[in-house]
Amino acid sequence: MKLLVQINGQAQELEILAPEPNCRYRFGQGDERAADIDIPEAGAYSILTNGRVYEAHVEEMPAGLVVVVDGHRFEVDVQDPRRWRSKAGGRGGEGVASVMAPMPGKVVRVLVAAGDPVEAGQGLIVVEAMKMQNEMKAPRAGRVLKISVQAGSAVAAGDVLATIE
Amino acid sequence: MFRKVLIANRGEIAVRVIRALREMGIGSVAVYSDADRAGLHVRLADEAERLGPAPSGESYLRIDRILDAAQKHGAEAIHPGYGFLSENAEFAAACEDAGITFIGPSAESIYRMGSKTEARRTAIAAGVPVTPGIDDAITAAEARQFAHEHDYPILLKAVAGGGGKGMRRVDGDSDLDSALRDASSEAERSFGNPEVYVEKLIERPRHIEIQLIGDRYGNMIHLGERECSIQRRHQKVMEECPSPLVAGDPEMRRAMGEAAIRAARCAGYYNAGTVEFLVDQQRRFYFLEMNTRLQVEHPVTELVTGVDLVKLQLQVAAGERLPYDQEAIGWRGASIECRIYAEDPANGFLPSPGKLTRLSRPLGPGIRLDGAVYTGSVVPIDYDPLLAKLAVWGPTREEAVDRMIRALREYDVGGIRTNIAFFRGILEDEDFREGRLHTGFIEEFFGRYKPAAPSREVTEAAALAAALHTLSRAPAAQQANGSRRSAWLQTGRNELLR
Repeated sequence: MKLLVQINGQAQELEILAPEPNCRYRFGQGDERAADIDIPEAGAYSILTNGRVYEAHVEEMPAGLVVVVDGHRFEVDVQDPRRWRSKAGGRGGEGVASVMAPMPGKVVRVLVAAGDPVEAGQGLIVVEAMKMQNEMKAPRAGRVLKISVQAGSAVAAGDVLATIE
Repeated sequence: MFRKVLIANRGEIAVRVIRALREMGIGSVAVYSDADRAGLHVRLADEAERLGPAPSGESYLRIDRILDAAQKHGAEAIHPGYGFLSENAEFAAACEDAGITFIGPSAESIYRMGSKTEARRTAIAAGVPVTPGIDDAITAAEARQFAHEHDYPILLKAVAGGGGKGMRRVDGDSDLDSALRDASSEAERSFGNPEVYVEKLIERPRHIEIQLIGDRYGNMIHLGERECSIQRRHQKVMEECPSPLVAGDPEMRRAMGEAAIRAARCAGYYNAGTVEFLVDQQRRFYFLEMNTRLQVEHPVTELVTGVDLVKLQLQVAAGERLPYDQEAIGWRGASIECRIYAEDPANGFLPSPGKLTRLSRPLGPGIRLDGAVYTGSVVPIDYDPLLAKLAVWGPTREEAVDRMIRALREYDVGGIRTNIAFFRGILEDEDFREGRLHTGFIEEFFGRYKPAAPSREVTEAAALAAALHTLSRAPAAQQANGSRRSAWLQTGRNELLR
């Protein structure tokens, strides 16, 4: 499974080939590596890799994960491109809702046009990141007010892709 | 000896006193505010009594309620800890009037040493050196004249003050009027007394203090010095015994100890107390103030002298004689204490109250941890955000420093921010390791402090842990059709997947 990990603001790709306890993983295009993982307490990860021991404490904070290793504190955001969710700017049925890109990528296809009626959960735009295609869905039923991107557009995390009213 | 003692305090110091009481077979009565029902001091005590709502003015500062609690529970004595009512002469007098022993000096001694100007007068009368200054409340004109006689910089201080409140440095005539106004209004807000006095400022001084204890029969000894130069905003955060400056100079220790005893005797002092000195670059020491109570940093003295100060306090308060004389006191090895606070060093040391979600404590040789927190405990916003005092002992200062770095590495607190990593930075600093200390150390240290960057391996370990954690918490079915599972079902599923 490929993940995009933002660690203290730096994005890197991390592919988990096998989870704990006999974890195999790969950073970016690097070599496949192995780590013996033990979780002795909730949130405590004892990582044994290449003969070295690392103890990571993971904490779920409102803004994301906080990981402490050897006294160093990391703010980490982990995204799974296969399970992208539309980040809806508005909730409920009233007003205008924005569909934003949760991570950087490239628009592959636009499935609807301005003025189209849409159902909640209907696919609007397909974005590719890390060689995986992800359909951005309508957060609720309504009418497409505006499509802000076109096929081939590069998007950054937080960019508004479409608005629905 | 007493059969039952009430502790008029909270947090780690209340726990510290309860531990001494338990070892001595004395019953303990805790008091608590609504914020502290689950406090460790309540959980550990034999008996407990609610005082009132969280604000200390409605709970830990309520003399009437504390005395009622003592009477209701049949406590014969009250230990005030530090802070709150510990240096309140009115409280000490009220205890004695109610027939309850105040574990500390007399109300008269507290009064004579409690006000800084009164304490200076006492020190002068005892022949103890003080910094040049005017002891009484001053006007702007008097401050200006003083500055012209003794040269800038000068220091304005609140007459009723403490903890750096109402204190201002002045470097020239142009700043004087506004600094006096600021100091005065801050003093008024903090202490209800706007009076300000003036002292010559000693540049780059060390803060070195002498621990005393005396009985009611006029016997008094000193337990040597503590160096408390590592301060931020005039609050100590790190203390050690012995002082790296005094460690190799027994004559200086003897002179400071004798001066401290002279000042305390002049105030008719008994029980534990601390005389604070500023020490200049020429090793001259000047009386600063006296703390008429147990100090936060007392553990470093205990670790090096082997004396249990709280037990001695109880013994002399119960009317016993000091069990030993000055010759019996020796100093072995070195001890350092770090005050672990719920605060964020990266964000101006802003308090970081909240719930502790995770706690791993340092253990092993030479470690002493005085704390009052546990996994799941809440650091309330209402009080000082001190989580614990981590103290270490080592045969030499160098070993104590290395041991403290090791201990801090084992210390992990989740849910709130702490200053743990910041201490590691100080302990690895060359000036600190060489013992080149002064009260402005932290400010200067901040200028050169670069938090060590994590290695690539450490960063990758963090990324890997975060990724695995996320995968274990986000089962594939979660968002399959956009429906939300009930929290109970989700939790059950997460548990199964772990």
